Formats: sequence, C-alpha cells, structure tokens
Amino acid sequence: MWKYLLEKEFKQFFRDPGLPRMALAFPVLMMLVFPFAVSMDIRNINLAVVDNCMSRESSLLVDKCISSGYFRLVSHGYSAEDAMRLMDDNKVDAIITIMPDFDRQTALGRGLPVGIKVNTVNGTKGSLGSQYILQCVRMYFSDRNSSAGMASAQSADISEKYYFNPGMDYKLFMIPALIVIAITMVTAFLPALNIVSEKEAGTIEQINVTPVSKTAFIVCKMIPYWAIAFFILTACLIIAWAVFGYVCRGNVLWLYLFTVLDILVMAGLGLLISNYSSNAQQAMFVIWFFAVIFMLMSGIFTPIASMPDWARFITYFNPMRYFADAMRAVFLKGSTPADVWYDVAGLGVLGTVMVTAAILSYRKSE
Amino acid sequence: MNTGYAIHIRNLVKKFGDFTAVDNISFDVRKGEIFGFLGANGAGKTTAMRILCGLSRPTSGSGTVAGFDIRKEQEKIKRHIGYMSQKFSLYPDLTVRENIRLFGGIYGLKDREIHEKTEAMLDMLEIRDAGNRFAAELPLGWKQRLSFSIALIHSPQIVFLDEPTGGVDPETRRRFWELIYDTAEHGTTIFVTTHYMDEAEYCDRVSIMVDGRIAAMDSPAGLKESLAARDMDEVFRIVAGRAVREE
Repeated sequence: MWKYLLEKEFKQFFRDPGLPRMALAFPVLMMLVFPFAVSMDIRNINLAVVDNCMSRESSLLVDKCISSGYFRLVSHGYSAEDAMRLMDDNKVDAIITIMPDFDRQTALGRGLPVGIKVNTVNGTKGSLGSQYILQCVRMYFSDRNSSAGMASAQSADISEKYYFNPGMDYKLFMIPALIVIAITMVTAFLPALNIVSEKEAGTIEQINVTPVSKTAFIVCKMIPYWAIAFFILTACLIIAWAVFGYVCRGNVLWLYLFTVLDILVMAGLGLLISNYSSNAQQAMFVIWFFAVIFMLMSGIFTPIASMPDWARFITYFNPMRYFADAMRAVFLKGSTPADVWYDVAGLGVLGTVMVTAAILSYRKSE
Repeated sequence: MNTGYAIHIRNLVKKFGDFTAVDNISFDVRKGEIFGFLGANGAGKTTAMRILCGLSRPTSGSGTVAGFDIRKEQEKIKRHIGYMSQKFSLYPDLTVRENIRLFGGIYGLKDREIHEKTEAMLDMLEIRDAGNRFAAELPLGWKQRLSFSIALIHSPQIVFLDEPTGGVDPETRRRFWELIYDTAEHGTTIFVTTHYMDEAEYCDRVSIMVDGRIAAMDSPAGLKESLAARDMDEVFRIVAGRAVREE
C-alpha cells in the first residue's frame, strides 16, 4: 500500500505546475540574495564633525574615521547647532564634537575631550555607529602613541580588521541560518496545503472510503518533503561553497540528520494544520502565523540569551531554535550531535508530538 | 450478523446540532439487489449514505453493512464496499492507468492483478486509448464510468453510487446503467441515489426520503400501484410533495 501512495505523492509533486520550480528557486534566492540583504554590517553612516579645534591633530582623527570606510563625512564645521539640525533632518547619523584644546590636551596625554552623539532612531545603526567611532578614536590614539613609520601603518591595517569584524564573517554566520529558513518554509507550507487541496478537490473522500491506514497516508505525504529538503540543503551547500567559498566545518551528514528531524516537526505541523483547515486560505494563514513566530524567536536574527525570561521560555517550543542552533554549530564549529544533544532531543520530542498529532487528527470519518 | 441482507439498518439518526438530517430510518437491502435511494435535495440521502460507507458516525441507531457494525467496524466495512461520490474524486493529475493502479494498490492488490484489472477495465470501458491521459481530461461520461469501475476494483459486496449520472446526456446514462446491470448480475449489491425517475424505474426496489425519514419504500411497480400513479415521476411528486423542510 505504501509503495502506491508514495508513487502518487511524488508524481503529483513533479506534475504540479509550480512546486518543483519553487523548490528550485527558493534555495537559490535564499543563498544568492539574502546573505547580502540580511547583513547587519552597517556601512555609510552619515557623520558630521563639529571641529572646534581645527588643528592637524583633529583633522587626523577625522581622517581616521573616514578611512575606516564605515562613515561618510556629511559636514565638517564649527557649529554644533548646524550639526544638530542635520541630525534632526535625518541627514546625519552621528556627530563627533572636538573641543578647542584637543591638540594641546592630547599632546600632554591628558583626558580626551571628544563628544559623540548618535541618532538611535535606527537602533542598530546607532549603536554600531557609536561603537565604530569609539574604535576609530581608540585606533587614532594607538597609532599616535606608537612610533611613526611604515611598520606602524601596517599594524594599524591589521588591527582594523580585528576591530570591525568585517561583513564577511556575518555572511558566514547567516548562511546556516538561511538554509534553516529555506528548508523550514518549504517544508511547512507545502504539507499544510497538501491535505487541504485534497479536501478542496474532493479526492480525500475517495481515499477515506478505502481501508487505507491513516499512518500510511500521512507518512507517505511526508516522505516527499524529506526528498525536497535534502535537495534544498544540497543546493544551498553547493552555492555556499561555489559562490562564497564557505564549507561546512563539521560532518555534512549531521546537517542532513538535523534536517530529517526538523521536517518531522515542520511537515507534521503542516499536515496537522491541514487536517483542521477547510480551505487553502485558512491553512496558509495559520502556517504563516507560526512561521513568523518561529523565525523571530529562533535566535537567527537576535540572540535568545538577550530575550526576557518568558520569551526565552517560549523558544523552547520553537523547532527552529533547535534546528538553527544545531545547523550553526555543525557548520561553523564542526559540532557533532553529541555536542548539541539538546537540539537533537528538542527536535525529536517536538517531531514525535507533531507527527502523532497529525496522524490522530486525520479523521477518516466525521 | 444478518445473513441474507447486504445492508440492515435500524433507527438510524444523524443530527448536526439542532438539525436532524436523518430521522430514525430503518430498512434492509437484500444481497444482489439494485436499491434506489431517492429523495429531494436536502432530504438526507447523502448523509445516510455516508454513514453506511463509514465516512460519518451515526448519532444513534444501529445496523450492519456487508455484515459489519456501522458504529464499530467502519474500517472493515470499507474493505467490502465500493463508493462513487457525486463529485468526480479520482486524482485529476494522475493518468487513468495511474488512478487504477493507486486504488488497486490501496485495496491490497498485487502488481500483476492490478495490471490484469487495468487492461480488462480499459477494454470493458472502451477507453483503451485514453489509458495514459490525465483523468482531468476525460469527458464527464468517461469519468463516471471510470469512477464506477475503480469503485469495483476490489470486487466489493456492495457498491454505493451517489448520483452517479449527474450532468450527462440520456444515451450516456443508459450506457452507465448497462454497467450497473452487468455488475448486479455478478451478485454485487447496488445502492444508488438518483434524481432521474427513469433511472428509479430500473431499480429492484426504491425508497423515497422526505425530511430525513423514509416516506415510501417498495418496488417501482408496487409504488405506482399503491399511489395510483402513471410513472415514477408522479410517485415522486406525490411523496416528496409532503415535505415541510426547506431545502
């Protein structure tokens, strides 16, 4: 019986006008577009300098900031009011104020009269901006204190990389997370629509009137999504290697293992929702609701450790939390399932619950 | 178990909230009989039929279908009956052959048996050339004959047909009924709902449901005689005319 049901599911998948193309386009889009788009590496921070000193020293400090590549000098003048007005107009993200006796004080090695104002309407840009300015100032001083010459210029370049955590690392950090999102989206949405579409077409009634076993029916619906997810995972890994030059530090097999576990949860959830929905719109909306929560509370974009206690508690029910953590650990650190056993356990428990619920809630009679 | 009867129903009730769709019906269908289950739209035919097929649970009442309890042995009933719904419900994106194969497989037929059945079916339905076409592309009449044949793929004792010939021309309907007769001759019990009174004439016995109850039940000849009606059309109008329930 299983063989025939599986055959049916695969044939239907490949004959669908949109699904195979979607499964193909999704990983490509995810891997080629989003690593650039989701980068938290902020550039082009608009900077105004209020230079009350106008000395060689102060212009060296300004040069230091500009040469870091993170800032764009919008105005360089005396007037603090002008600079503030620029910030009010949202033309400037950060203001550096240099006091009149900057050169003298620094020459004497005393305290540092430099003011930094940051526009935090965009919080991320603001906090990173102030960090960058601080780094620049610190670097300016370390340069200044070391002896002049080629050797110190060299070392300044090296320390810059160290300080700024260049964008490349951020992409590397996001790639396993993007794989997680691609797999989760495809394997949650498609099963959610699957049973509903059979309900809409009326074909499920013909199935329900046969002695088909519920388990066989549900599991056979799930298996194609494993195949699709493996395909997506493989495609993503190839793109990560070919385009960005990133390879998985750990054993790739573990990535596949975690994908199997994740689909248990997501496809189970999708089918469960499908069982309770009477049309595609309903199913779509409910799965969208879950997908957004899963994503925002997964630790992919914001660290779970910095969430309040109650939010952190909710993340324990979020399969994406475990999946993303495991994929990052394997990809970036080379971890094994033994190292992240809690992720294995989390996905395993949630998966068992979901699949069981999907099978039980599928009713062949009303 | 009630030997001799394919279907044996006593005091069957199905309620949806306050609404009583099926109101205390009892009837028996003999083995090998062609039993017409008539009634106006909304009279409760489809609801009753879904209970008999194990697709729906009765609110109260008891009975057996193919010798199995309609409350407790629904999955066993499903092994021994065929069902053809009102709406075409084979997979439109599978070919004719693939649909036959799928349902053959679900009923536990072996590959070889499925192959033989498929060839025999394509010949009998005279749709050999259409074997590799998608089910969605077939003309309605062919779809209906295919659904019927697939409902019979596992040689069930009883086959339930819910308005099997809706929307096709009289000639196509006549050919469909030839299939039904052939099947009944081989000993399969036929339980059929219809809106066409000429089809009702073809049945061995008919029941007419009105407002969830069985208002009349006899052979077509018996009904015409007792109601002094010229044909089944008139019988239906007299009996169904007593309805108080809105559609």
